[in-house]
Amino acid sequence: MSAPTHDLVIVGAGPAGLTAAIYAARARLRTVVLDESVPGGQVKTTHKVSNYPGFPEDVKGTDLARAFATQAERFGATIRRAVEITDHELAAPLKRFELDEEETVTAPAVIVATGAKPRLLGLPGESRFRGRGISSCATCDGAYFEGKDVHVIGGGNSAVEESLFLTAFARSLTMVVRRDHLTAEASSAEEALRHPKIKVLWRTAPVGFAGEGALQRMRVKDLASGEERDLATDGVFVFIGSEPRVDLLRGLVTLDPSGYVLAGEDMATSVPGLFVAGDVRAKSFRQITTAVADGTVAALAAQKFVLAARGRV
Amino acid sequence: MSSHVTEISAADFEAQVLRAAQPVILDFFSTECPPCEALAPKFEALAEQFAGRARFLKIFRQGNRELAVKLGVTGSPTLVFFDRTGQERGERMSGEEIKKTVVKARVEALLAQP
Repeated sequence: MSAPTHDLVIVGAGPAGLTAAIYAARARLRTVVLDESVPGGQVKTTHKVSNYPGFPEDVKGTDLARAFATQAERFGATIRRAVEITDHELAAPLKRFELDEEETVTAPAVIVATGAKPRLLGLPGESRFRGRGISSCATCDGAYFEGKDVHVIGGGNSAVEESLFLTAFARSLTMVVRRDHLTAEASSAEEALRHPKIKVLWRTAPVGFAGEGALQRMRVKDLASGEERDLATDGVFVFIGSEPRVDLLRGLVTLDPSGYVLAGEDMATSVPGLFVAGDVRAKSFRQITTAVADGTVAALAAQKFVLAARGRV
Repeated sequence: MSSHVTEISAADFEAQVLRAAQPVILDFFSTECPPCEALAPKFEALAEQFAGRARFLKIFRQGNRELAVKLGVTGSPTLVFFDRTGQERGERMSGEEIKKTVVKARVEALLAQP
């Protein structure tokens, strides 16, 4: 067995992965964080964060993401940005990743902190209109809708927060909500309901999309009466929760019925040396604070594992 | 460092894209767009890899709003693929999930066309 290139590989540079990197690097583990994108995970496209302790004023998601990454790098963790994992072996004692089909990194311990990605609606026309009127990123695409009439699907925290952000651009914004109330935090839900630009269609669900070239119409169903009708729209933003990114782990670890990874209190999976942290893990609440807590525990548990493994060699 | 990706504006669209005589991959990007930042290094690497065979161009959405509207582009980043004859081919790719390996396969398919 050739010598590992690192002590710890962390997959995913969101809050969980970067916190794990801070702790691991400070523990003098040779730590590399792999990410297909730039650091920050879902936080980097969140326009503002109001409930992360230590920031009495709101902090922009991009700024918080950058701060996490800078702190991890200060202690010596390497963050590999925009790399793709093209092959991997996680079951063996020496875990291995091939990056961009040309480079290999190995380590005895791995923390998978790949998080979750925005859930799609799975409706007719949806994939055709992605980037042609349908979006999941308000900070990226909001400015495309200056003076336009847009719709937001969903009634949770993200839907409400991003709706409030989109009112800076849109002429009108209609939230399409399945239930008869918003499930977002009360303070932001009240702000949205008071907002002069925001209207809500209660007990309504989208059923399809249409348009010539770009999106022009969304078909919705009134869930009480079953009646369907077409709404003219310039853009639809979808915030209906997320689904875990578990591609690396499929067939290797136990998933819960929703597809999240089951792990113990110490973030360990059933595979020795393989840990998980953050939104990818089966748990009750997915917040930046809970991701950060997972990252801490996973790093400390991984450190213990690496030291014990060294003792065995 | 010289880039293999050329930035164009709407005025160059016809000459640089529609009459390019090579396959063109056009990237609509925006500022304050983390997925655009994430795509940039992958796009640059592919541009280098396909240098001389396919052209990798980028266009700033905010500065070229009319062209974006005309093409129905409403999200950043969006990749639009054109064949040698300037005809748009295949589905556009958009958002954070754009994989380098998938873009590479799309470019190779464009190159394989007679």
